[in-house]
Amino acid sequence: MSGSRVPLLTSQRLVVVTGKGGVGKSAVTAALALAAAAAGKRILAVQAGPGRLGALLGAPALSSEPQRVRPGLSAAVIEPADALAGFVHGVLRVGVLARRLLESTTFQVLAAAAPGLPELLVLHAVTTWLDQRRLGRRSYDLVVVDAPASGHSLPLLAAPRTLRGLARFGPVAELLTRIERRLADPAETLVCVITTPEELPVRETIELCREIRALGLPVGPPIVNAMPPRRFRPGDEEALAHLEPGHPWVVAARFLIERRRVAAAQVAALRRATGRRPLLLPLLFAGPEATGGLETLAHELSVAAGFAA
Amino acid sequence: MTLADLVAERRVLLCVGSGGVGKTTTAAAIAIEAARRGRVTAVLTVDPSRRLKDALGLDAPGGTARRVPLGPIPGRLDALLLDVRGTFDGLVHDLAPSPELARRILANRLYQNLSGTLSGTAEYMAVESVYRLATGANYDLLVVDTPPASHAVDFLDAPRRLLALLDSRAFAILKDPTTLLGSAGSRLAHLLLRGVVQGLERFTGLGLVREIGEFVEMIDSLMDGLRTRVAAVGELLRSDATRLVLVAAPEPRLASETEALAAALDRIGLRVHGVIVNRRLPSALFGPDATVTPLVGVAASVERRLRQGWSDLRALAAHQTAVLEPLLRAAHAPIVAELPMLPAAPASLTDLTALGEHLFPPAGGRPVLARSEGA
Repeated sequence: MSGSRVPLLTSQRLVVVTGKGGVGKSAVTAALALAAAAAGKRILAVQAGPGRLGALLGAPALSSEPQRVRPGLSAAVIEPADALAGFVHGVLRVGVLARRLLESTTFQVLAAAAPGLPELLVLHAVTTWLDQRRLGRRSYDLVVVDAPASGHSLPLLAAPRTLRGLARFGPVAELLTRIERRLADPAETLVCVITTPEELPVRETIELCREIRALGLPVGPPIVNAMPPRRFRPGDEEALAHLEPGHPWVVAARFLIERRRVAAAQVAALRRATGRRPLLLPLLFAGPEATGGLETLAHELSVAAGFAA
Repeated sequence: MTLADLVAERRVLLCVGSGGVGKTTTAAAIAIEAARRGRVTAVLTVDPSRRLKDALGLDAPGGTARRVPLGPIPGRLDALLLDVRGTFDGLVHDLAPSPELARRILANRLYQNLSGTLSGTAEYMAVESVYRLATGANYDLLVVDTPPASHAVDFLDAPRRLLALLDSRAFAILKDPTTLLGSAGSRLAHLLLRGVVQGLERFTGLGLVREIGEFVEMIDSLMDGLRTRVAAVGELLRSDATRLVLVAAPEPRLASETEALAAALDRIGLRVHGVIVNRRLPSALFGPDATVTPLVGVAASVERRLRQGWSDLRALAAHQTAVLEPLLRAAHAPIVAELPMLPAAPASLTDLTALGEHLFPPAGGRPVLARSEGA
């Protein structure tokens, strides 16, 4: 479905995938990871917060330590709360004190009063993986992050800026300057916003793209997941008019025609509002878990990302 | 138990569920149908889409009730938009011993930060709004669209959590972190902890501890009133006047979220009473046992495409069934209604009214795919 176009990925090594809940972020992240691995890249897929990345990659029990799930493909999960806990343990060093502090409701107040700190620490973990080297070469060519749903991913992406107002000096200030510069560099980072071709997700996507751009972060073309296929031809609608309206074939055909029409209109609206040509991924009727589902998405993404020759 | 019974007999109907499942739309459709059945109803929504706002006439600022123009019907319907900050500010005004103290709290930077970012604040304020509306005399029935909390229980447990968080003892630890150690800690441990917390503050460059101290002294005066209020709100949520309805869609991500929700509800003495499944393909047309008699007089090429389209939707229906199965097991409640998958999002009052009719099938008609009662 992609056709000839500028490849999604050029030199970027960090891809952050976000979008409204339920649009298929985890499936797209998993498919992108599979596509990159198939192209011979060493890739780390990271689940930030809740999601189904592990289940889709056949490794339901991911941990904060990257584990190899396929040749060339490792995966890990990182929770903002855990990242914060790790940080506190690192600073306090005395395990029992750190535990008591983290268990106290006081700490929730501290974390709420310093919005963005847990998220910054997630980004810190991700950039650490990007820089990790083994035997003189990089451990990963590409790190793909399955970010939380849009409402929660903005705090993640905005964390350096949010904290900037609070921490001007000291080690945290240096850390966030470094991370902010890296996220904002279009040669390093790409933020991909996923949507389905439906009104609400498209609206949210347009808003999210605007907000991410306002943060100074490089946003790729929107990715429209679950695009219904064009199954019918213009003349078919004419034929349907003469058929029994309640017949399952007719109900199905009308539904699919209308769905396709609405989807096409939403894709057009998305293109107008963002000024970018959306990348379309097909609707998988039997779901991404069905045999060949992820591979279908991976193939489309491989072409779009410029992995496939 | 049907949705019609719930609407006729209860005072508060809370629609819970994850983001993106159609909670707001479903709450609006239930409220419209309730008003058409004669109930004086209010629908409280949290984050409606532009079109839904337009459909309900919600152009007023948060907190103001707007009459929904449903024509001549036995009941009536008002729509309200949740106003988190306004409700919080109103609560502070209610509970503060003096207007001067209320003003000082509202002006405190930490209050401003906390009232927006503290986990559970929006949820608590939604519950507070429900309490205000339910204890008022204006409505028979409140239909509430809850905030899309990743753990929807944040909403229902918000009063207790906020109280625990604001409880001065918790804040006291920040003023003097060594209270964490109790009397058992050695002198060295006390010194060590004080040192590391100060170090943490310096390290992050955040001047939090001092500001929290100031805030604590002010908020302290609200605590008695807040405790009483929280107890009353909790009572309302657990009472027979209130029922929880889970709005779900056939999406894989929802199974684990529903499981977490049910477990968390159980811990705080609440449960889901019924499930509304949104975006379901009708099994009569696309289920595993659905059969078709071929249509006559259709060109072979058209017939091929018709068969293909039907088998696509059967695959989707089968996927939906597979995805719903663990979700329903986790919810531990019967399906009380199903809403059909629509090619486009409902956009007008007419669309919402039509959906409302789906939610309340005519007497005798069992909801599709009904599960056994009494789970």
